[in-house]
Amino acid sequence: MSQEWQIVWFTAWVSALSTVLILPAGLAAAWLLARHDWPGKSLAETLVTLPLVMPPVATGLILLKALGRRGVLGGFFHDTLHLDIAFTWRAVLAAQAVMSFPLLVRSARTAFAEVNPRFEQIARTLGAGEWQVFFSITVPLAWRGIIGGMILAFARALGEFGATIMVAGNIPGKTATLSLSIYESVQLGQDAAAFRLLGISVALAFVAVWSGEWLMRRRRGLYETPP
Amino acid sequence: MKLLLRNISLPLADFVLEVNVELASQVTAIVGPSGAGKTSLLDLIAGLRRPRSALIQLEERVLTDTACGLFLPPRSREIGYVPQDLALFPHLPVRKNLLYGCKTSLPRGSLFSYEHVVAVLEIERLAGRSVTELSGGEKRRVALARALLTSPRLLLLDEPLAGLDAALKARIIPYLARVRDEFQVPMLYVSHDRQEVQALCDEVVELERGQVRSQANQKA
Amino acid sequence: MRISAGFKFFLCLLLVACARNVPATSVTVFAAASLTDSVAKIAAQYERATHDKIVFNFAGSSLLARQIEEGAPADIFFSADEAQMDRLQNKGLIRVETRQSRLSNLLVIIVAADSSLAIAVPRDLTNTSVVRVALADPQAVPAGVYAREFLRKENLWAAIEPKVVPTANVRGALAAVESGDVEAAIVYKTDAAISKKVKIAFEVPRADGPKISYPMAVLKDAPEPSAAKRFLQYLNSPAAGKVFAQFGFIVLDAAP
Repeated sequence: MSQEWQIVWFTAWVSALSTVLILPAGLAAAWLLARHDWPGKSLAETLVTLPLVMPPVATGLILLKALGRRGVLGGFFHDTLHLDIAFTWRAVLAAQAVMSFPLLVRSARTAFAEVNPRFEQIARTLGAGEWQVFFSITVPLAWRGIIGGMILAFARALGEFGATIMVAGNIPGKTATLSLSIYESVQLGQDAAAFRLLGISVALAFVAVWSGEWLMRRRRGLYETPP
Repeated sequence: MKLLLRNISLPLADFVLEVNVELASQVTAIVGPSGAGKTSLLDLIAGLRRPRSALIQLEERVLTDTACGLFLPPRSREIGYVPQDLALFPHLPVRKNLLYGCKTSLPRGSLFSYEHVVAVLEIERLAGRSVTELSGGEKRRVALARALLTSPRLLLLDEPLAGLDAALKARIIPYLARVRDEFQVPMLYVSHDRQEVQALCDEVVELERGQVRSQANQKA
Repeated sequence: MRISAGFKFFLCLLLVACARNVPATSVTVFAAASLTDSVAKIAAQYERATHDKIVFNFAGSSLLARQIEEGAPADIFFSADEAQMDRLQNKGLIRVETRQSRLSNLLVIIVAADSSLAIAVPRDLTNTSVVRVALADPQAVPAGVYAREFLRKENLWAAIEPKVVPTANVRGALAAVESGDVEAAIVYKTDAAISKKVKIAFEVPRADGPKISYPMAVLKDAPEPSAAKRFLQYLNSPAAGKVFAQFGFIVLDAAP
């Protein structure tokens, strides 16, 4: 039983960490895609959406090639920093981050696009620099969509399987996540364990979504366009 | 006040906004039918839009000069802007809205200090309220105060009385007069209604389909 | 209505293509991953001789057994160990009279072809220079189960278990060594033979290693039982035996 809780705890904290780590880049990408037109924008849009539409194992394979010891990134980490990525918890983190990134960007982008640019303009005339405008006006007004995006990203990370199994494997105690463990239990014919883990997955997802809804309800009454 | 608007050219939907005037009055009105380009002109002066070509200079300070690629960002222009939709930040209470651009380095009691501005516009009791609870007239005064609290060198007002009934207009106009007299800030006042500008403005510029039709000094 | 010549030509092509694709009989074989290349070659020979078509599903034997338990429409199960076949027999899912084993294999420790690690005996796997060892999942997949059995016998399992990276099947362990992500793996000798990117560091002698056996059987609910029996017989024929031997399998005394 304690092994199962270890799996739950591991899955939860790596998924939470992954969601937090993709926040800066995710918000930046969302803002750039929502507000400006620039050369190469449609290429960037496509790249960001790719993990969403490609088969997860395909994405996992690309990650394995990049993060393995002989890979572009993994090689650097292994040789210079003496750090392994593939087949460690870092690979789980990477797989989850990549797979959930598009969900955060999509939600945040819509939220940013719905913020009336007039607010940002007036903020500038009042003397705010770009970073101040972003953090004091844009982000608070887009808060709902950002939270929604983070919930989606977290849930996606919790349930990640295809890419994770490719780049991190299912190493007991080291990279075994909830999804991987359910699969393993089914394979071994351990249905009771599989259903226990399934129940925990559902409970986790439920709590995540419910918390998100609660958070968003607290900020009710906020509207984007001025009276 | 000296405001140079030289060789301004900005393509809009149906026509090109072309303005070439020099404004030297304390309160200047820009009147014209809706869609004449008045708001776009204010946006250019505030630095919220970039023109195809222009030289915009306030006093000795060049704000925009396309000839040498100079463009001062809005935050450095020290120009207050009260837009037509007021744009009061809905996620901040009134007090935070007012203080958003406030130059807190000013000594208490000075002309643009919080206490003074709030007193002149009579909005002290609104400070803790949410923006959504305010009446139309109250919102306008708050928006005005917010712009004033940045100690601007020029105040841009886009249709400040639009959509108000006669009674409310009559109540707001004295406040605008107070702003003109008390704070001595030059104002650029956009309206489609010539009547309301009579009392307040020294000079009237007529804008139609992006062209300046006339420029007349009222107090001549 | 006038139909263009081009369209008529296209229709003809379509009909011809469909006609060619209808096989006489299709036999579905669920086989262990280590049998991938050998069985595919044997099946190709068989298809040329008869008009039957052989369809494969290669994976870890434990996964295949599970799929069959869940009702997957297979005709033949060709497992890499007796345990997975017993699992199905105990559930009454195989035709017991068709069950037979005549293949065996050897375990080897492999390293990357360009590896400079000195691994000459199994004990060397406990060295600190060996950080990760890939095995087909030792909890269920035969190759991993055999490896674990061997390491336990050598009293090395406790030291090596923390280093184990379990893979879905034995070819996954092979790939992990090829990509350099693990220092070593234990796979079948037949798997090491097909890859140029790995080299054998140690071969477990038949006498010291676990008893490796590849049982095969026709399944009780096979959609094509007669065709399946025919192919099973072919798998046991001298012709097939030659192919298995070519790939490095140990062919036990052939059935008469």
